[in-house]
Amino acid sequence: MSSKKNQPNPNPPGTRREQLQQQREQQAKERRVRNIITFSILGVALLAIVGVIVAVVVSSRTLPEASGGGAATGDYTIAVGQGDAPVTLSIFQDYMCPYCGDFERTNRDDLEAMVEDGTAKIEFHLMNFLDGGGRTYSTRAANAVVAVAKAEPEHVMAFNAALYDSQPEEAGMGLSDAEIAELARGAGVSNDVIATFAQMQHQDWVNRSNTAAYEAGVRSTPTVKINGTIWPGDGQTSAMFTPGALKAAVAEAGK
Amino acid sequence: MNDLVDRIHRFRQSDRWIFSYMLFSSLLSLVASFVLSVDAIALAQNADAALGCNINEVISCGKVGVTWQANLLGFPNAFLGLIAEPVVITIAVASLGKVKFPRWFMFAAQIVYTIGLVFAYWLFYQSMFHINALCPWCLLVTLSTTLVFTSLTHVNIRDNNLYLSPRLHSGLQAALRMGVDALVITLWLAFLVAAVVLKYGPALWGG
Repeated sequence: MSSKKNQPNPNPPGTRREQLQQQREQQAKERRVRNIITFSILGVALLAIVGVIVAVVVSSRTLPEASGGGAATGDYTIAVGQGDAPVTLSIFQDYMCPYCGDFERTNRDDLEAMVEDGTAKIEFHLMNFLDGGGRTYSTRAANAVVAVAKAEPEHVMAFNAALYDSQPEEAGMGLSDAEIAELARGAGVSNDVIATFAQMQHQDWVNRSNTAAYEAGVRSTPTVKINGTIWPGDGQTSAMFTPGALKAAVAEAGK
Repeated sequence: MNDLVDRIHRFRQSDRWIFSYMLFSSLLSLVASFVLSVDAIALAQNADAALGCNINEVISCGKVGVTWQANLLGFPNAFLGLIAEPVVITIAVASLGKVKFPRWFMFAAQIVYTIGLVFAYWLFYQSMFHINALCPWCLLVTLSTTLVFTSLTHVNIRDNNLYLSPRLHSGLQAALRMGVDALVITLWLAFLVAAVVLKYGPALWGG
């Protein structure tokens, strides 16, 4: 390098043969690196494919296990209202789903009135498919609702409503455990029950509830069924968010 | 064996390979942009299309299409793909037909497409970490945009269209000869796949 400046000779260093030799060596070196790279590419691609296959297999294996041998959907319901009510209203929901919140807020008064006067009973089906990527809000909220339903069922409707009133942004991680506890307290749930939320005793139950709903054909939330029939049919989902439409449909079904 | 690897690498540098690959990727990108544009119009016309959280579309809740990120410039982003990809398709087809574009033209194409790539990855990042939703067609846009970008960059380095210093250019050309670009792309795609699988995992196949 440093000798370059001092040598005006255009063909340094050495003869043309030496230059060719050098060039050939350079090419051989490139080729060696190239071969290593070629096999690295094959290796990486292979690893990636194997990795994805393993991930698919592992997750598809754990899912059926979580369903506990395919328990019936009916086992995973949060029932509210009088058992002999003529109409059964099934609501499949995920507490993170913004449209579930829209639905609940639109129909809250009607739902409460129908349960109150015995026109209908409600079966909530809790789902947690919106969890993922470190977000566990759907499961934590549903776990709390199951705990309330088992110990103090009279507070389920109020707690359900409170969760939707303070529904977190779909983009975020959801409410904290403390915030969920605070909502439960506001809905009248006793401190003894609230204290059990953090133990996540019903996590499996919620997972199975989600799987059962999926196996029953629920593909989106909110899904509403009146006496087992999906309402409103024909993809006219906007009726769910129209005040009074649900009440009218239930009244019709109860005739 | 060495002979086969030799031939593969020589083919990799040929017009036929680079522009076929560019054509294929830009067609993919155009199809994805088209589907997303149609969706965007459907969303605008019919709010019902957005009213539900669809399990199979991983968390989307129909909300990716209605976020501000999806309409950054005041119209659906997918429209940009409808505008830009036909240009790339034209370049690829014309080049397959032995048309030689001027240096400044290819340089400009590189700059504009690089901006497009940055935008595509910004959206990918947003949907991964802020919207928390992925839509399959958006992923296809990310993938195909990456592939188009690599083919364009490949040809521009090969043909010295980027106004680089001689030293940098000859270094990059040696890298192309050795297949460094292919390694980088493979690693990058594997990284993206791993990121998506790790983050969304089971949800992607309908858990």
